[in-house]
Amino acid sequence: MSAPTGRGSDARSGPGGAPVPRIDAYEKVTGATRYAADRTPPGLAHAALAVATVGRGRVARVETAAARAVAGVLLVVTRFEEHELRPAGYRLSGGYGFQSLQPLLDDRIAYRGQPIALVVAETPVAAAEAAALVEARYEAAPAVAVTLDAAGAETVGQAAALPQPMFADLAMGDADAAFARSPVRLDAEYDIGAQHQVPMELLGTVVEWRGDDLVVHECTQNSGAVRHGLARQLGIAPARVRVVSPQVGGGFGQKTWLQSHVGPLAVAARRLGRPVKLVVDRTQTFHGSTFRPASRHRLRLGADRSGLLTALVHETRQQTSRHDLFASDFTSVTARLYGIGDFRGHQRLTRTDVQTPGFMRAPFEHAAVFALESAVDEIACATGHDPVALRLANDTGSDPVTGRPFSSRHLAACLRRGAELFGWAARTPRPGSMRAADGTLVGWGVAAGAYRASAGPAVARLRLAADGRIAVEVSGHEMGQGLRTAIARTVALDLGISAGGVRVGVGDTGEVPQHLTAGSWGTATALPAVHAALRRLRSCLGAPDEGPLDTVAAAAERAAAGRPEAVVEAVSLPPGQSARAVDRLRAGLPTPAGPEYPGFSAFSFIAHFVEVRVEPAIGRVRVPRVVSVVDCGRVASPVTAAGQIRGGVVWGIGAALRERGEPEPRHGGFHHADLAEYLVPVNADVGRVDVDFVDVPDPLVNPLGVKGCGEVALVGVAPAIANAIHHATGRRHRALPIRVEDVLAPEDDRNGNCP
Amino acid sequence: MRPFSYRAPATLAEAVAALADGGPGARPLAGGTSLYDLMKLGVEAPSAVVDIGRLPELAGFDTAGPEELVFGAGASMADVAEDAVLRADYPALAESLAKAASPQVRNMATVGGNLLQRTRCGYFRGGPAFDCAKRRPGSGCAARGGLDRGHAVLGTSDACTAAYPGDWAVALLAFDARLDLYGPRGARTIALADLHRGPADAPHEEHTLGAGELVVRIRVPTAPAGRGSVYHKVRDRESFAFALASAAVALTLDERGRVAHCRVALGGVATRPWRAEAAERAVVGGPLTEEAAVRAGEAAFADARPGAHNAFKVRLGARVVARALRTAAERAAGRAVA
Repeated sequence: MSAPTGRGSDARSGPGGAPVPRIDAYEKVTGATRYAADRTPPGLAHAALAVATVGRGRVARVETAAARAVAGVLLVVTRFEEHELRPAGYRLSGGYGFQSLQPLLDDRIAYRGQPIALVVAETPVAAAEAAALVEARYEAAPAVAVTLDAAGAETVGQAAALPQPMFADLAMGDADAAFARSPVRLDAEYDIGAQHQVPMELLGTVVEWRGDDLVVHECTQNSGAVRHGLARQLGIAPARVRVVSPQVGGGFGQKTWLQSHVGPLAVAARRLGRPVKLVVDRTQTFHGSTFRPASRHRLRLGADRSGLLTALVHETRQQTSRHDLFASDFTSVTARLYGIGDFRGHQRLTRTDVQTPGFMRAPFEHAAVFALESAVDEIACATGHDPVALRLANDTGSDPVTGRPFSSRHLAACLRRGAELFGWAARTPRPGSMRAADGTLVGWGVAAGAYRASAGPAVARLRLAADGRIAVEVSGHEMGQGLRTAIARTVALDLGISAGGVRVGVGDTGEVPQHLTAGSWGTATALPAVHAALRRLRSCLGAPDEGPLDTVAAAAERAAAGRPEAVVEAVSLPPGQSARAVDRLRAGLPTPAGPEYPGFSAFSFIAHFVEVRVEPAIGRVRVPRVVSVVDCGRVASPVTAAGQIRGGVVWGIGAALRERGEPEPRHGGFHHADLAEYLVPVNADVGRVDVDFVDVPDPLVNPLGVKGCGEVALVGVAPAIANAIHHATGRRHRALPIRVEDVLAPEDDRNGNCP
Repeated sequence: MRPFSYRAPATLAEAVAALADGGPGARPLAGGTSLYDLMKLGVEAPSAVVDIGRLPELAGFDTAGPEELVFGAGASMADVAEDAVLRADYPALAESLAKAASPQVRNMATVGGNLLQRTRCGYFRGGPAFDCAKRRPGSGCAARGGLDRGHAVLGTSDACTAAYPGDWAVALLAFDARLDLYGPRGARTIALADLHRGPADAPHEEHTLGAGELVVRIRVPTAPAGRGSVYHKVRDRESFAFALASAAVALTLDERGRVAHCRVALGGVATRPWRAEAAERAVVGGPLTEEAAVRAGEAAFADARPGAHNAFKVRLGARVVARALRTAAERAAGRAVA
């Protein structure tokens, strides 16, 4: 992989300031970083889970004698009492759990891999051995439904099933009539398979009771939900629960809500009077938390002969669980990527026998934009227009859904600069017309992407220590995306000090209130609070509102005057939000605003340019280079933002060509539940990735002008790859992932020579 | 993890005795890359583990001899893959190792242990929820009608369609490799071709080694076909993935460019390392044209029996054979080593 290109903010100084290296990089690469499961308090006991081996039914009897007989086993629990463990509630119903179902409360088995027993032992080895010896007799249902097409899967209209405005179907104009009279029409169906987040850090929890207080070290993007969810489950005051999550080893949406095993762990620790740790093993994580559900998209896209898009009907079906409706939002982005006046969306949910799916990086936008940007490419081919030119021609300055302007929209700049960096002008349009020196087919593809620029309320506390260093505590979590670096750099630039003199604390409910860090709103949520707290600090110190501030001298002056350390706190709210949002923050509930704000809509934008090399004879596709240009407002932390974009591109390669959560249609659950068989990209799959930023501050979303970049990074990578494959071979691929058997040239084409 | 005894004998004779002592539950441990994995899954639950990783009799390898290449069973895959002689004169052997697993695994795994790597069938590895005649003789086969994309299309039986996952044994099969064994009844030598069993009605019997018998070394006769050899592997990603289809080809050309000698072996598509004699017959005696290569590829899969999701392997496998034949011929002719 290459370094970011020289253009853009990496090389720029000036008002944006010099880039700051990732402040926790040294600890990470030397192994010094402490993750939740690295904690080993005295007396620690170790837990393991035994899980259901049927896909649906009831557990008739759980045999635990063999497990209990294992040396070192302290506790085997197959059923908790209602008074000691209550459900945490589903997050869409005002609860805190990733699903409504709390295992180990009754005999219902809703999915294969559901916990049927919790074992606690003196060592992890004894716990694992005992868990493996737990045997259950089941009354299994005669059939399971784990795919969209399974008999027994039940499909409901989302708007009818969830009658709240945010889940309603979008419609502008008369899309069906406009489509019918469009001279160029595409009617196509797109399939996106299930995917798993598989962060390197496994789900890990350490629970410790200190008297009546509970301290939980948990890898979570949402320590607030863990706190409040546990309080509800255990029937104690939230103030008695402290959740600490300073470093998450990758979340990608898997760690956004209270996991089903944390409550049982807290009860076990209380019964034993000892701290307890659980690390969920890799195979169990495929069923122990959320995943990206399978979805299907039917698109009817109309255009005129000049390539102007005239109508879009986007009908979707997304997998959910039998017990919860995981609401989808595919159409928010497809209704706005281009200036299409006539739009109709219809979203449906299909109940299947799985754990409740959930958010995974660009949870809806990845799939929705794969469908739309594949379709747009087909329209470009059908009308004989260059795919970049066609996208530029369909750009819009105002939000087609609301009619109001975008706060900022530099998609055209992304496309133009990307085309220039990539060398797009040298592309010959005819599929199969470009070949490499070794004879392999070359394909160049492009796709755009967008992701809502959300933000929520946040609290920041700044402390000026006696030595002049600044300590910051903020609502937010560090999952590797670089939030701590962005905060340190913001403070350093504001005060004119070194980022090394700033200590950043995140993810600790014992400091400031915490809620979900996800949806690319982390930076745009935390930085305004830090910015506001900096103003308070300056005022408290009697310093001017901007300009360098000698923190060492200021601290010494206070000390000499016998005054305590300066501690200030500030609350920030995104445009249009009231103080009620802060109440929700204090209750551990997320309150993201956007993409619609009073008077404007806000999105981040991206353009991806991809080169593929295809050998159709053997179905092989390689991705030697990608250029991605991003509009995420002002770039708050150039080094970590570029890392986010490169990571998103790697994710896109995986999503387009490799990863597939494979449902087992007869037994339920996901097959191939390990990293040898669930195929994330390896280094050899990733070629050169060049990243550039528009880096123009957004004038409206927040005082710092930042929009998110972690999610938009993935949006559009997969269709750019699919479009590039089409350019190489002349064949369209409308299902992800695109695998060897899909690219493999047909029987009658022995040599794999395509038109 | 279940308790087991652990012994690390100092000599081959002691190791074989320890394995005999351990009875049917004893397993030898070399690199551990497969055994530990299967123990964690509960597929293997040895009562006795005999560590053969430091036995001097299994160590090292020698590719300099005039008669044969000799590989101690305990040599690491990484060391052998990097051998300069092998890379120059027997590229198929070096490539089969270099394209297997990941650098970390190749550093640990041994060329002897790799021969007997067990299948990646998800139902085999998935534990007691699934019927698997390899794990529980006579219990049936959950892969039949199930998720069998990665499974075999050659050499299958009603009891099992699991694919043999290895690469190295496939390449060795193209070179008449022989194995020196040592067991409770002493030493013997067998052809590599006789090591693996097809599933028939007893898929749990995967090899012909006797109880407590160990592979001591692998011997490959020196052969001019070495330079005209290739291991071509198609997989789901560019590294760290098992073959969807692979072919090892070793051949020589006569002075007029006709194929004089040819061996073709297949991986990823068969229940055991698979010699494709029909493909060999299809090319021997003639020039290796594109048409001849395609014909040979199709001949190799004439008897294929695909399952529910792996029919593409027939088409893919035939093309892999065709391409491997063409590459091998180019190498044999001294042209463009890819």
